[in-house]
Amino acid sequence: MAEWICRTLRDGGLEGEHAPALIIKDTIRCPLSSFVFDHVLSQLSSFILSNKSQSKGIVLVALSRSPLYYQQFLKSKGYDVVDSPCWIKVLDCYSDPLGWKSKLVESGSILNRDPGSSITTSLCKNVRDLDNLFSSIIESGKELAGDGKGRFVVAIDSVSEMLRHTTVSSVAALLSNLRSHDQVSCLFWLLHSDLHETRATAALEYMSSMQASVEPMALPANGQIGNSMNLSLMEQNFRRGKFCVRVKRRNGRVRMMFEELCVDISGIKFAPVSSEDNVIAQSLVPKVQFNLQLSEKELNDRAKVVLPFEHQDNGKTTQIYDGRKSLNEGETEIHEKVNSSGKGEIIYFRDSDDEMPDSDEDPDDDLDI
Amino acid sequence: VKIYIHMAAIRPRSSSFSRSTSAASNAVPGLKHGPNGTMFLSSGIPDLDKILGGGFTLGSLVMVMEDPEAPHHMLLLRNFMSQGLVHHQPLIYASPAKDPRGFLGTLPSVMVSKDDKSRAHESEKEKGLRIAWQYKKYFGEQNSDSQRDGKSEYCCDFDLRKPLERHFFTGKHIDCITLKDSADLTTFHDRCSSFLSQTPRTDGNVIGGRIAIQSLCSPQCEFSDKEWDMLSFVRSLKSLVRLSNSVAIITFPPSLVSPAFSKRLQHLADTLVSVKAIPDEDKELAKLLTGYQDMVGLLSMHKVARINTQVPAILEATTFSMKLHKRRSLTLECLNQAPVHGSSGTSYGTSGSCSSSSKTGTLDF
Repeated sequence: MAEWICRTLRDGGLEGEHAPALIIKDTIRCPLSSFVFDHVLSQLSSFILSNKSQSKGIVLVALSRSPLYYQQFLKSKGYDVVDSPCWIKVLDCYSDPLGWKSKLVESGSILNRDPGSSITTSLCKNVRDLDNLFSSIIESGKELAGDGKGRFVVAIDSVSEMLRHTTVSSVAALLSNLRSHDQVSCLFWLLHSDLHETRATAALEYMSSMQASVEPMALPANGQIGNSMNLSLMEQNFRRGKFCVRVKRRNGRVRMMFEELCVDISGIKFAPVSSEDNVIAQSLVPKVQFNLQLSEKELNDRAKVVLPFEHQDNGKTTQIYDGRKSLNEGETEIHEKVNSSGKGEIIYFRDSDDEMPDSDEDPDDDLDI
Repeated sequence: VKIYIHMAAIRPRSSSFSRSTSAASNAVPGLKHGPNGTMFLSSGIPDLDKILGGGFTLGSLVMVMEDPEAPHHMLLLRNFMSQGLVHHQPLIYASPAKDPRGFLGTLPSVMVSKDDKSRAHESEKEKGLRIAWQYKKYFGEQNSDSQRDGKSEYCCDFDLRKPLERHFFTGKHIDCITLKDSADLTTFHDRCSSFLSQTPRTDGNVIGGRIAIQSLCSPQCEFSDKEWDMLSFVRSLKSLVRLSNSVAIITFPPSLVSPAFSKRLQHLADTLVSVKAIPDEDKELAKLLTGYQDMVGLLSMHKVARINTQVPAILEATTFSMKLHKRRSLTLECLNQAPVHGSSGTSYGTSGSCSSSSKTGTLDF
């Protein structure tokens, strides 16, 4: 599924259509989305460098991790970072997002010791001005792809960081503008969904065409943290998770896909789902009208049902169902002892026990007319 | 039990009482008389008009609840707008896109009549005795044949694969407005108000106007977090529309506004419809519903406009499947449960209008 997503992003959007947009989200219970982001970035880089992609380059807006991190990451993956300005441009919104450092440097209070990184194209000093950010992204993209029909990928590291500084509607407007720009081939961003209100997350999901969420494999029972089993489960969730993808298809259907992901020293790995998980569309499918299986509770209740008199030959004292709920054993015994003196007994013989119902013979046959 | 129905015996139900002003004498092709002194204009989807009892009532506000995962509301809007343009009814279209005029290029054109004839022809091939499984499907066919008289049709069949001819867009009566950079809705409200004053209720010469607003509450608009403002806009629009001979259709994504406001917006609607996406390649649903392969989504009717009357509209079924017939025209069908697999031969899988089962999910069967 991860490969499928990367290929879809690689192929980009058709002309006149909105570019495909991927939102990668996670929660604190399984915070592995940054690994997924890196994976997608690396895959797209390889497609671009081998000329298999619709786009000519990547514009990366780095908000939560420094450009140096990306430089080292891409180098570790074997991509040519020296020549990087040809295919990747990083907008550094990490080092000085609100311009405080530069103000201090200007006033002489501190010295600018930041070595910078070779990958950085431009430093953004005001993350709040999203219009400016938009034009910087487009500008960098045009440098990569040329002015004409060339296209580029936009990656935003952590829209959650952006939402700290600006409103949801301006971020949504930015994403919508990027998606509808002719030269943007595809777009992907990261969001930590539990940091925001549900409406904000819903709004950002609305702007996307594919949602990839990282969910914990095993939920700790009872939510108690102290339990050692729960601790190990929680530790597991920091290494493994479920990768759920929802794709909005053009025909209006939603495709859902699942995979397992696992993170270790070498990076992230995706594997098909091992267990039979039928999470699909449970809310849409109404229950089948004839349920032939009995649940546990139903089995227990069935065992408790008091059968009519003639079928109670199981050795226990016969119970006469008198409309009240089944009394427990002790009570019936006492009840019997009280009643055994002199009260009437019911002797019931079912007549014609051997007569088969609905026999072939016409029952009127023995009328001798 | 199988039902054998001889097709000749079925007549479409027509009452013996007919109005003296029949549809044929109505000079305006885009409008139709409805009950209780109301008039209808067509939604552009023949099945939807039938479900609504004729079409959208003039003076009513229609709201469509979108599903953020599917673009089905666009299908409804497209047919609505195309129908209006074909009948030369004035139109305002507003959306959060930068260039809403571009949307006009995706409007469908009227289906060429020879395609229709071939569709009707197919159904007549089997003469004589037919096994009418899900027999209610066949009632509509008799009616539709009688209304083929070309351009002056009240409701046209639209071909979604062919774009509407350019000459329909050139009129001055089409206005496309973007909501993108508006800080609030006041300017748009004024535009709507002046538009609606062109088609007042007291006017003798009724044309019928259309307002189509797409994705109000879309997050990229600045006013999207001002919920009270949006609510008062809709309320004001509703009252303006009620005094005019127009229909306004607004689509909005209910998950993007708070639940209380979503409820309020829903209550404001005269006609309320919701569309829903269906999962792709879902084996469970494929087993449960017939025609799952052709389905693109689900449409639910929550409210039907009833003006000048106290009698509510009680629909036989409220959930319909949206299908693209030959990938061209939108049809709405009652949900039909697939027959039980084989052996028992019972026909418990009747058409969707049967009484709802005790375990109702989000679908009404």
